[in-house]
Amino acid sequence: MNSSRFLLWWDRVIAMTVKELKQLFRDPVLLAIIVYFFTADVYMAGNGIKLNLHSASVMVIDHDHSAASRELIYRFRPPYFDLKGEISGKKEAENLLNKGQILAVLDIPEHFQRDLLRGKQVAVQLQVDTSNTVLGTLATSYATEITAGFGQDLAMQQLGLSAGQVDSLPVIEDRHRVLYNPNQIDSWFMSISELLTVITILSMMLPAAAAVREKERGTIEQLAVSPLTPLQILLPKVIAMSLVILLGTAVCLFLIIIPVFHLPVKGSIGLFFAVTALYVFATSGIGLFIATVSRSLGQVSMLVILLLMPILLLSGAWTPPEAMPQGLRWAMAISPLYYFIEMGYDILLKGAGIAVLKDSLLGLTLLGLVFFSFGVWRFRRQFG
Amino acid sequence: MNLIRVWAVTYKEWREILRDRLFFAMAFVLPLVIFLVLGWGISFDVENIPFAVLDQDKTAMSRDFLHRFIDSRYFDYKGDVRSEREFDALLAHSDIRFAIIIPPRFQEHLLAGQSTSVQSLIDGVFPYRAQVAKGYVSAIIANFNSYSLADYLAGTRGISREQALAQVAPVLIDPRYLYNQALRSQWSMASGLLMLVLMVTPPFLTALGVVREKENGSIYNIYASTISRSEFILGKFLPYLLISCLNILILWWVVMNVFGTPFKGDPLFYYAASVIYVICTAGAGLLISLLVQTQVAAIMLTMVISFVPAMLYSGLLVPIESMEAGTQFEAHLFPTLYYLRISWGSFLKGLGWAELWFDVVALMLYAIILWVVGYLNFHKRPKQ
Repeated sequence: MNSSRFLLWWDRVIAMTVKELKQLFRDPVLLAIIVYFFTADVYMAGNGIKLNLHSASVMVIDHDHSAASRELIYRFRPPYFDLKGEISGKKEAENLLNKGQILAVLDIPEHFQRDLLRGKQVAVQLQVDTSNTVLGTLATSYATEITAGFGQDLAMQQLGLSAGQVDSLPVIEDRHRVLYNPNQIDSWFMSISELLTVITILSMMLPAAAAVREKERGTIEQLAVSPLTPLQILLPKVIAMSLVILLGTAVCLFLIIIPVFHLPVKGSIGLFFAVTALYVFATSGIGLFIATVSRSLGQVSMLVILLLMPILLLSGAWTPPEAMPQGLRWAMAISPLYYFIEMGYDILLKGAGIAVLKDSLLGLTLLGLVFFSFGVWRFRRQFG
Repeated sequence: MNLIRVWAVTYKEWREILRDRLFFAMAFVLPLVIFLVLGWGISFDVENIPFAVLDQDKTAMSRDFLHRFIDSRYFDYKGDVRSEREFDALLAHSDIRFAIIIPPRFQEHLLAGQSTSVQSLIDGVFPYRAQVAKGYVSAIIANFNSYSLADYLAGTRGISREQALAQVAPVLIDPRYLYNQALRSQWSMASGLLMLVLMVTPPFLTALGVVREKENGSIYNIYASTISRSEFILGKFLPYLLISCLNILILWWVVMNVFGTPFKGDPLFYYAASVIYVICTAGAGLLISLLVQTQVAAIMLTMVISFVPAMLYSGLLVPIESMEAGTQFEAHLFPTLYYLRISWGSFLKGLGWAELWFDVVALMLYAIILWVVGYLNFHKRPKQ
């Protein structure tokens, strides 16, 4: 008796899940958008955002016109800089900087060479457009490195030392190794972070939309008088949307991220999908809560975006926890995306196993249970 | 065009917005939330990088060297480890993002006038941060080296320490940060985000306004009435324009007072340009509403076609100059690029009509094209 009741219970859930899937597949625009999110959107994010300095336009005001000044100017080369030529005065430089046509102006003072030969320290001015801070910071950092290199070579020359003799000087050699992404390929970071964000948006939006659509059209009344329990109404929506999202994730990973961006997957793909399934379940609880609060799809979408924004902010996708103010760092504990991003990078890039992930896994599970039971509880009160 | 009919539609729309209290609140809250979250959330200031140390030398000199990191505001010292293997777990778990290893006999080598090397490990998951961190490490080491060399030369060649220092580092670079002197990424971000928020919310509201009627079926009342399409579109649009114009002022206030960004340009010019931009982006919303049948699809499509150009092709995160030629061309096809120039120009650079007229004209053209296309494709007789 008990087992047949159990089977009946699942039969109903499965029937409802099939209904949800059919309903989704009959909305071609929505379907197209889901496909777009998992393919083109991730591709564009991975391909479009490059936070590094690449041929930044530089111009020079050379007051000295000497061998030394030309030698220094010559070092501002691709890949970081692109020398656009010489200009005569500050006015012109200012004009070009204002228009945003060049990023920086290098100003070499008079008597540059003479002072250097006399052993005096000379300052070279670099005017940088910092209205985009990322570029401003990188340009300054590279320009400093270039001039330091120029200075060092000059010093060695004047002291009568050749490059081979550096060993016999008391200096520290800087040996750095960048782990997990040795060539600092932006597309790895960007595409993964975009994929995880897309999963978040859809796992909140799709179940909520599926639930509110029934409310808006009045079909919820039919479901309420059917022998289905509130959980049997909600669970199929979550299951159906989770299936679609997991399928989309697989498409994105195997058709975009791995073949196009050549992401070397270090950890276990199976573990990644297991974590994704858990995450989709956790966030769909938030979606269900939204569905109980709103009356129309317009309201759903606004609430989704409203809740999505703090979840994104507190996730560490753009700003890691250490760069946050202390108060926000505590608040990150309630953003499910924080745990997901952490685990996503850990598994895909760092090759972490369950042992490393257990804290995040526990946090996400707890959050998921809280969200999901809260969503079902609200729904039950409304329609039970 | 009959203004009384336009007014009737506007009045009806306005009442509808007011009665949907959630929607009305969202129309103001949503832009503000997006704005605050991204303004605080996307920070490119790389500070407080957590790091750990393996000091195999433990001498006065190694401690002095390490203190250059520990005392820096860019790094956040998390403690010492006893073996290199401990770093793996710490880095994999993101407890630290950077590790530094001092070799044995560090002091001995330096005092004997020989070179030594320091190994650093940097977490490369977020490439931009890794690059900046690498820059900091190189700068600290270079600075240590020049003092170490100067001391050595002063000792061996019998010159004063100052003279030696001038010889070792003959050229200094003196960076002048234009437009954003403190290199505060929040200034650029806040004034740039106006572009993003005003790209997302006006089309959102406009599209929902039209599609709601389509989904409810109340659009048939319009089809059957004597009102012309231009009267309908205009009447529909006016309440949303009003909301967006208020939002411009609210966000402007936030940029200046919450984020402390100075406004150097001409307020009237900027406000006029912003209104043109809003008309332009709301026109995109009109086009979306013609394409889709359901509100969910409208919302998703708005997010897709507004977030992507605003984030990727505007120059906010990725400067136009560092894009590839094809991408640069695409970037010029979106209105976001032109408005971002106006926004940064007005806030940070103090420019006005004289320098920015081209961008304003581009926005005007854009607005005209979008509205004409929208008008021509809006039919009172639905095709079957």
